[in-house]
Amino acid sequence: MNSFRKDWCWHLLTALVLVGMGYGLWVATGKVDYTWRWNRVPQYFVYHNEDAKRVPYDGRVVEIETAGDTTTVTVRDRFDEEETYRIDSDTLRVSENEDLFAGDHIGSVFNWQVGPLLHGLWVTLWISFVASIIGLVIGLMTGLCRIGRNVTLRQLSTLYVELIRGTPLLVQIFIVYFFFGTVLNIDRIAAGICALAIFAGAYVAEIIRAGIQSIPRGQMEAAKSLGMTTTQAMVHIILPQAFKRTLPPLAGQFISLIKDSSLVSVIAITDLTKSGREVITSTFATFEIWFVVALLYFLLTASLSQVIAWVERRLAISD
Amino acid sequence: MIKTIDLKKTFIGRGQTVHAVDGVSTHIKPGEVVVVIGPSGSGKSTYLRCLNGLEELTSGHIYIDGVDLAHRKTDLNKIRREVGMVFQQFNLFPHKTVIENLVLAQKVVRKRSTADAEKKARALLSKVGIAEKEQEYPIRLSGGQQQRVAIARALAMDPKVMLFDEPTSALDPEMVGEVLEVMKQLAREGMTMVVVTHEMGFAREVADRVLFMDHGKLVEEGTPEHFFTAPREERARLFLKQVL
Repeated sequence: MNSFRKDWCWHLLTALVLVGMGYGLWVATGKVDYTWRWNRVPQYFVYHNEDAKRVPYDGRVVEIETAGDTTTVTVRDRFDEEETYRIDSDTLRVSENEDLFAGDHIGSVFNWQVGPLLHGLWVTLWISFVASIIGLVIGLMTGLCRIGRNVTLRQLSTLYVELIRGTPLLVQIFIVYFFFGTVLNIDRIAAGICALAIFAGAYVAEIIRAGIQSIPRGQMEAAKSLGMTTTQAMVHIILPQAFKRTLPPLAGQFISLIKDSSLVSVIAITDLTKSGREVITSTFATFEIWFVVALLYFLLTASLSQVIAWVERRLAISD
Repeated sequence: MIKTIDLKKTFIGRGQTVHAVDGVSTHIKPGEVVVVIGPSGSGKSTYLRCLNGLEELTSGHIYIDGVDLAHRKTDLNKIRREVGMVFQQFNLFPHKTVIENLVLAQKVVRKRSTADAEKKARALLSKVGIAEKEQEYPIRLSGGQQQRVAIARALAMDPKVMLFDEPTSALDPEMVGEVLEVMKQLAREGMTMVVVTHEMGFAREVADRVLFMDHGKLVEEGTPEHFFTAPREERARLFLKQVL
């Protein structure tokens, strides 16, 4: 009871600090003469798109048929050909037997469209997902090569890991896109995914290597003493245990990958970051959009954390 | 059954050369229970580990059922499924339940069906007296129980020989008895066993033959009566004085 009261005080203090910081920011932005326009943001997630129907040639309305929300308008043009238009009933702008001129507005169809932010979020999500899977495979192979007996494989994998870890991801993306993209003729999306996967693979390899080496030698010996081959022992005994131990650092790596994927916007992939930039050029709502973009990235990474935490709890039953 | 001829194992580390096993020759007959004793660092564990190829020999030969382990073309995995091993640290697979520990190698190595493997596993678990723990994870068992599961796991492969590497050394004193009891039962059933141990009582009661090793060499061998009452070698006498 006593500890609860003490903690309660600290919770309050945390809340106060956060509110204080928020208030400080609010006051500060007030001084720079910035007009917040949060109301402009939602339309970049989804928007109600108006598709206006216009007649291409002069003509005459011959028939209007209304069935609930949709209205069908039939127009006979000056070549005596009939054309029908389906529009939303409440947007009807013509009446029967009316003469129309080319370009006249008959009515409109409204539908919901995915805005650039949501589309960017989706691109970021799937690029990161595909790159994670490929990165995991590359990392697993490289990690096994790093501890394997074959000298050439060991040296090649070490070289790969050192090269990738020693150069910036941004530079790697440029090299993959401009050099390999040109030489091997791969498109920008593939180049972006490749760069991310190769980058993540090097780190995953080190995580997996450490995970395998952290399993006591006795496990491999026990498996071998039962007649298992090295491969069987790896698949059934070592890797499942190593996977469990490496889950937290792997999760960290994939969370990093989601964030690092923002760099592929430099090769004109319309991911979340690039979508954000594009929206800003048309709205000038710089502050709002960047906050929203940050929040969306956070939502992605937080959901991944939750999934990993769930898997960890599932695997913890043998502890 | 097992024949070792001038077996040598040398470790080279930090410029030092250690002759862990230095020219051991002996012959273990089917159904025989051989206990290897000796001071720590005498190479008895290394010798045992050589017998199923966990340590690569430096020179010499090991014949198991007539097959030379040192031969380049010998499939070690095939030999190992005939040679069960029990470790000091149990080395159960912690991510698998007790029954999965016993079933896995039967399925993967012996290609038995799940039903057959589970039947065999249950029979062995009740033989070592822990049938009721089959769904537990090893971490929830006591040391003695874990070691009995490890023995059952090795037995599940139907080995012709069982090797025990100090099976009771990592156990609390009150659990030593239960493990030794299982081993005695195995010996009575006629299993060929090579046991590295510090349990002199076990050696005296169960062994058909005692090997005494010191500094990698086989110093003395003989029946327990002979070894424990009238050892020929001075080093063996000294060792017995310290442990008994």
